[in-house]
Amino acid sequence: MTKRTIQVEMLARVEGEGALHLETEGEQVLEARLEIFEPPRFFEAFLQGRHFTEAPDITARICGICPVAYQMSACHAMEDILGVVLPPSLRALRRLLYCGEWIESHVLHIYMLHAPDFLGYDSAIDMAATYPDIVKRGLRLKKIGNDIMTRLGGREIHPINVKVGGFYRAPTKAEFAPLIEDLKWARQAAIDTVEWVSTFTFPVFTQDYTFVSLSHPDEYPMNEGRLVSNRGLDCGLSAFGMHFREKHVAHSNALQAEMIAGGSYFVGPMARYSQHFEKLHPVVRELADRVGMSPTCTNPFKSIVVRALEVLYAIEEALMILDAYEVPEASCVEVSPRAGVGYGCTEAPRGICFHEYEIDDEGLIVRANIVPPTSQNQSRIEQDLAAFAEAHLALDDAALTWKCEQAIRNYDPCISCATHFLTVHRHERTNQPSSC
Amino acid sequence: MLIIGVGQPMRSDDAVGREVVSLLQEGGLPDGVSCRESTGDGMSLLSLWEGADQVILIDALSSGAVPGTFRVFDIHKEPLPADFFVTSSHLWGVAEAVQMGRVLGQLPASFLVVGIEGADFGYGATLTPDVAAAVPEVVAWVRAVV
Repeated sequence: MTKRTIQVEMLARVEGEGALHLETEGEQVLEARLEIFEPPRFFEAFLQGRHFTEAPDITARICGICPVAYQMSACHAMEDILGVVLPPSLRALRRLLYCGEWIESHVLHIYMLHAPDFLGYDSAIDMAATYPDIVKRGLRLKKIGNDIMTRLGGREIHPINVKVGGFYRAPTKAEFAPLIEDLKWARQAAIDTVEWVSTFTFPVFTQDYTFVSLSHPDEYPMNEGRLVSNRGLDCGLSAFGMHFREKHVAHSNALQAEMIAGGSYFVGPMARYSQHFEKLHPVVRELADRVGMSPTCTNPFKSIVVRALEVLYAIEEALMILDAYEVPEASCVEVSPRAGVGYGCTEAPRGICFHEYEIDDEGLIVRANIVPPTSQNQSRIEQDLAAFAEAHLALDDAALTWKCEQAIRNYDPCISCATHFLTVHRHERTNQPSSC
Repeated sequence: MLIIGVGQPMRSDDAVGREVVSLLQEGGLPDGVSCRESTGDGMSLLSLWEGADQVILIDALSSGAVPGTFRVFDIHKEPLPADFFVTSSHLWGVAEAVQMGRVLGQLPASFLVVGIEGADFGYGATLTPDVAAAVPEVVAWVRAVV
């Protein structure tokens, strides 16, 4: 029986390194591995002995695409230790910053990484030749997300204005004013984006997922809340370790997370959307209905539509925050150290980003534990790969490789930007019983 | 005219474009000439040069040439070899941004890319001697053009 090996290797990247390895024999997938090498444990070691105020800026460097997620989770964890609660004005500003990150990250993924898969192009540059106006729309939308980051965060990547307790400086209303006009344009552009991606042809593929996301009584999950799942989990952040654990697998330097009760789980836009559809703004829900999206989405290829709906949500949310904005009396709450353990978890564009810290009475970090979204999804991605590949083994290697890469990109893993630089090696070999 | 220095300051010779821009700014520039620095994220570069008529972009090269030598590409006359530019952690680098700008018809009317061959792109905050020696040469070339 012919054994096929599809190996997709990735160039080394500053933010990590990943590869796809698929072994098949006859009509069966023997193994599907997403090999990721990412460095959060080094950051956890760097943090030991550093002052608690440094955690947001150090952990932001874990990712150049979603630094706000790391900053917010670190701030919340430290504030949990210090017993600090931010006033509504500062809380809203943090949410605005997060909206900027969702917009720029989601739009990058929708237009530059994922859409070319559906339209049959190797890259967004190739796609732009046929769809120049659509690509221009994507670039302008992303720039507006970046602009939120720049005006509030001080720069578009790795914001410098975030601190434990709030911000170093709150922008004036005049500084925000140009954003409002841009966001009004973006609102229609986001609607057009949803309508565009919902016309794509999606493979018929659904799975019975365990969705995990934050849950807030009044808001779509983003910057705070409890942890919930569609299997009945509902716990505070301090119980994260009672329900989830990380394990080391031989093919990855990244730890893979799993439910202690058993099985993989799925974090990110589909988990948020499917559990909290009713908390989306009415305009978003109505649009979802109009383009044929049900309130629960279990086809990961349709995650591109969910991301587009979340872009519209983030734009609406940002406009609401800016409409009500008054410069806060103080840009931050004063904080002083005390020994303790604290937890923070926020919704990075690609899913929950969990932080846990212990600090001593001088405010020095004794222990840090960071669980990024991509390592939480890694096991689930491998299951998707195996299930999807098994149903499509009739494809030749090139087509199967393309589809498998697309299945990985459904999750918008942090390594997805590198998958465009992959070198693909194809092997077919005669079955060797001893190697099975 | 806009002069853009591209590079990652913590990656040794990769920072050479920014070093050139830094020296140009220290020495003063004629009216109408401004400078910007960039880590090389292609999507940000597209917005950086948006609206500019004339652009000179300076970046490190990794083409196998002698370290410290530099080449000038007129991107309206020749394609920019993507594999000459050091891959960044971002989705796109300089070559991809130029290509996207070309496809979308969003390139400045005059666009020169100056590539300076680097020797070491590992961790480090200083340029290697041959590359550092090229910096005043490139500064002089840019001054002659502007």
